[in-house]
Parts: sequence; structure tokens; C-alpha cells
Amino acid sequence: MKSNKSNIVKRKERKEVFTTSSGIPVKRVYTPEDIADLQYDRDLGSPGEEPYVRGIYPTMYRGRLWTIRQFSGLNSAEDTNKRYKYMYQQGITGFSIAFDNATLAGLDPDDEGAEFEIGTGGVNVFSMKDMEEMFDGLPIEKVSTAVIPIMWSTCQTTGMYFAMAEKRGIDLKKLDGTTEGDPLSTASCITNPTASVPFRHAFRLCVDLAEWSAINVPKWHAISFTSYNYREAGVNAYQEIAGLMAAAIAVIEEELHRDRGLGVDDFVPQFTFHLSSHSDFFEEIAKMRAARRMWCKIMTERYNAKDPHSKMLRFHIQTAGSSLTYQQPLNNAIRVAYQILAASLSGAQSMHACSYDEALCIPTEESALLSIRTQQIAQHEINVTNVADPLGGSYFVESLTNEVEKKAWEYLEEIDKHGGFVEAVESGWFRAEVEKAEMKREDEVRSGERDVVGVNCFKMTEEPYKVSFFRRDPQLVEKQRAKLQKLKEERDDREVEKALEELRQVTESGENVMPAVMKALKVYTTIGEISKVWKSIFGPIVPSGLAITM
Amino acid sequence: MGKIRVLMAKPGYDSHFRGAVVVATTLRNAGMEVIYLGGQQPSEVANTALQEDVDVIGISTLSSTYMEYLTELTSLLKNKGIAEKLLVVGGVVIPDDVPKLKEMGVDGYFPPGSDLVSIVDYIRNGVK
Repeated sequence: MKSNKSNIVKRKERKEVFTTSSGIPVKRVYTPEDIADLQYDRDLGSPGEEPYVRGIYPTMYRGRLWTIRQFSGLNSAEDTNKRYKYMYQQGITGFSIAFDNATLAGLDPDDEGAEFEIGTGGVNVFSMKDMEEMFDGLPIEKVSTAVIPIMWSTCQTTGMYFAMAEKRGIDLKKLDGTTEGDPLSTASCITNPTASVPFRHAFRLCVDLAEWSAINVPKWHAISFTSYNYREAGVNAYQEIAGLMAAAIAVIEEELHRDRGLGVDDFVPQFTFHLSSHSDFFEEIAKMRAARRMWCKIMTERYNAKDPHSKMLRFHIQTAGSSLTYQQPLNNAIRVAYQILAASLSGAQSMHACSYDEALCIPTEESALLSIRTQQIAQHEINVTNVADPLGGSYFVESLTNEVEKKAWEYLEEIDKHGGFVEAVESGWFRAEVEKAEMKREDEVRSGERDVVGVNCFKMTEEPYKVSFFRRDPQLVEKQRAKLQKLKEERDDREVEKALEELRQVTESGENVMPAVMKALKVYTTIGEISKVWKSIFGPIVPSGLAITM
Repeated sequence: MGKIRVLMAKPGYDSHFRGAVVVATTLRNAGMEVIYLGGQQPSEVANTALQEDVDVIGISTLSSTYMEYLTELTSLLKNKGIAEKLLVVGGVVIPDDVPKLKEMGVDGYFPPGSDLVSIVDYIRNGVK
């Protein structure tokens, strides 16, 4: 290429080396030479065509805008119902349940250890009754819901949603929605010594749900592979998508190994994915495009999938909570808007925009509204929805997409070397990788190599913005305990005992647990009662300690 | 004087471990002995602090029930006669609540984004 020999004075650059957030070197400018090897049909394809780099649908947002799916839950089912109704009136197009830590851990409000967990980070739910109240008056036959548990509460919470829908007369064959249900997501980055079900067993439960749903709730996405959690915990962009692929491979292998008559095209089309949209704008775009290409290659080459839906990476994004700052919280609204923009240029199917106060608390009604409006402004004002993959063909973006993908393949190989994702998680290797990555990020912030506005630069001694914060209902624990008491008085205890006995038998025999779980939930068995059965069979989780690298 | 001994824990079931890991690793790299407990109830933290005779108790909270949790923890520490140990809290505390922590018996508070060196210095100066 001819260089521009103008008379402009050459300015020294601000840094010796420019890199992406994950450390990939970035040049001053990109030219056709950087993508000289790129073959359009082989490497990109048009939107809706393999390898789906440019998007999984031909029309993308011209056909259908992404789903505005705000992850939300607070206090009790009644309070959450009010918030959901408010958000629905304001234009969200998908629900997503944020449970509190008690529910996630499978505890009832009166269980030991539940007191400090009720209402932390989400809504407290312990029986199908809560699910009925939470979605009362909401059109779940039209608007899909994402159930976001962690592995040891996956079957119970999703089952409650199914049972509630059935009670409302909705045919499960038509019920649309998602369960996060990725057993490897939280296990890979969370070590919770007090959690009730050890990993291998939790893995089985998640696959049981996927297997049962594939037949009984065919439109339901029973596993949404979630790299968001380990990304939040510290890994970089290419490690994130390598983990995502490794997790999906692990579940496919498990189901094929079970040999229950399902081929990849019977269950993989239901898979969805949940990625982070983090702060390095172009690297995130490259990451999402690269992830689509990798998935298509894996399903084509490794698994010989025939159904195009098995090869399409459909994904939800959540803006990066870990990029939000405690300091100067209103700045977070701007970070979120950029991350939403990156995802909309990448062709995500569904999005959650974090709220500016989320580094401090559950979003208030005010901050939750701004998150919805952030997405609506992107959808309706700035015309980014008019063209599919508008950055396709950019020398820089294509080159970076190739680079991120290359690094991700290498990292996937690394995971394979450690025995695949299940092994890599169980042995603690991946957890150590997460810890290493998070320390690296901290070092970069401390040394000033990585700027965080309001934290290590542009700091202020006084907080400049007046922001109000959400607080848990102070009566919540008592209220939930009273509610549990009332439930136990009203239901038929003999039915519950019968259902729990059946659950025990199928769990021990190795059969799919879901029919028994559904039966139990329909007679208002609680999440704690079901968890106790599993705990008595599986035993307590062995604390692997957190400090693997320590 | 031997190594400074630090007990590090998080409230119960909260899964936001990043801050705790980063601080625990930093303290270890600074030559302290860190006992990492992960998510625990206040009684476990108080019992371990007593048994291990630590100098410092560090609680990393990203859980909205920090006031209730710390109220119970500080009262347990008093009951066990170990309230004089340096109690340091890190993580998310709503700004209005920060002065209340001191009244409760929390010695130091470090919000997210705190300079790690300042945490190390604080502990070194606080442990006599």
C-alpha cells in the first residue's frame, strides 16, 4: 500500500505498544493486506449462512429486534411481580428471573443459614406458589422468560415455572423460554464450600433437565451456556469463548455417552449461549463474531450436525457488571450504553443492560428504567439496526476476529489437554486460570496500564452524583417464613411425602429426575425439601477451597 | 514478631469471589499468612478466628445483608472476648452505612477499587 506522504508532522505515539484488553497487539492502521487470506464464502458467508460470522439470520434486526430481557428480582414474589409489570409497561420484551442466594442454594426461608441470604441479589422463591404470584397477570404465552438458577437449583426453579405455566393452561409444547442451566458456568469460577450438591451430581441434574425438556418442552432452551460468569470473575475475551465451547462440548459428550437415543440434532438446536459484552469495544465485537464461527465449525467438523440450528450460535449478552464502578456511579450508565452498542453491532439475539447502581445494590425502579431506555434508544434512534453485520469487511474487525478466534482455539486445546472442561473444573485448573487472570487485571489497574475512570484516574474525593440506592424490605425474612408456614398448613403433606420418596428412588436409580421433580412441585413441595433429598444422597460438597493458586 | 495472620471470609452463599481472592493473594504476597474460609456464617468465622488466633479478620461482602451479618459477627467476637482483633471489611457498603460500621466495631473499610497497597499498609499499621 502506498503510504500517505503528506506534510503532516509525525507525532510520537502515546504508548510503545497498543493492545486489546486481552493483550492482542493492535496496529496503527489496518489495510487489505491484513485480510488478504480472507475468502468471503468460506470464512464469512452472508448473514444467515454458514459459518454465521455475520449473524445467524438473513434479515437480522430488520426482521426482528433483539429481545430486551432485563434480569430482575427483588424481595418477594409480590414485589417482583410489581417490578415486572412496570418493566413490561415500559417495553421489555423478555423476562429474566434473578433469584436470591437462598433460592440459588436450595434453601427454604427457615433453613439454617438462610437468614442472611433471603433477598440478596434477587427474589426469594421457595415453591411454585411464588412462581404463580411472580407472573400473575403477565402474558407469559407471548413473552418468554429466562430462569437463571445455578446448578443445584436448576431443576427445581425451572420445574416451578413449567408447573405454573401448566396450571395456567399453557401447553408445555408451546412454552418458550430459557434456563441458564449450564453446570460448568458457576462451578468453574465459584467455589462454594457450603453449597448442597457436589459438582458431578449437579452436572447430572442439569443434563436431566435438558434431556427431559428436549422431549416435553421442545421450545424451551434448557441450557444456556454461560461464559458470562467466568468472564466476570476474570478471564479475558478469548478465554471466555474457549470456555463457552468447551462447556457445550462437555454437555454434548455427556448426553451422547448416556446413549438414550438422542443425536446431536435432537438436542443441540435448543442450546443457547450467554456472553458478556465487556468494555473493549472492538475486541468484544470480534469475540462475538469469532464465537459464531467456532461453534459452526465444531458442530460441522466434530459432530457432523445436519440441522442448521445445531450450528447457529444464538446468544444473549449481559453488559459487564465487573466493569461498573462503585465510585461516581452515574458513569456506569455510559459504560453500559457502549457495551450495548458493541453487542448490537455484533448481532446478539437478546440483551440485558446493567443499571448504573449495580455495583452497589439491586437496581432501583429509576435505574432499571434507564437500562430499558438505553436499549430502546439503540433500537429506535441510532439506526444501527438497519444493516446486518455493519462492520463486516472492516480490515481491523475481520483481522481482530481472526486473531481472537485463533487464540480461542489455542485455549480450547489447552482445556482439552487438561481433560476437557469437566475435568479442568474439577481439578481446579480452570479456577486457577480465572484467579491468575483476575490478579493480572488488578495489577494492570494498579500500575496504571489499564485506566478505570473514577478509580485510578479522574478521581474525586467527594461523590459528585446524588443517587438513591435500593434496600431490602426489612421485614422480608419474617414475611417469607410466615409464607412458608402458611404453605405447609394448606398443602397435603401426604402428597408431599409420597413425591419426595419417589424423587429419592429415581435419584438413586440414575433415572431422569424431572418427572418426579415436577410431581413434587405440583403438590407444593419446597425447594429446600427437594434439595435435602439430594443432599442426603449426594452428600455435602467437598470444600476444594478457593485459594488454589495461593 | 512472626507473620501477620489473617482470616479471610465472605458472607454465606454469595458468589462474588473476585475481590476476596485478589485481596487474599495480595496479602499473602506481602508476606502475611492468610487463612481463606470462603463463604461462611458468622459463627464459623468467629470460631475459626478464636481457634487460629489470627491477628486480622477480613470480610469481603458483596451481599446486601452486610449490616445484619456484621452485627452478628461483631457481637460473637465480643462474646468470645476477641473483639480487639483488627476487623477489616471490603466490598460493597452503601455510602450512608459506612459510618455505622465504625460504631459496630469495624476498624477499616475499603470500597471496591481501593488501592491494594493501602490495604496492606493499613493492616501492617493496625496490627501491633
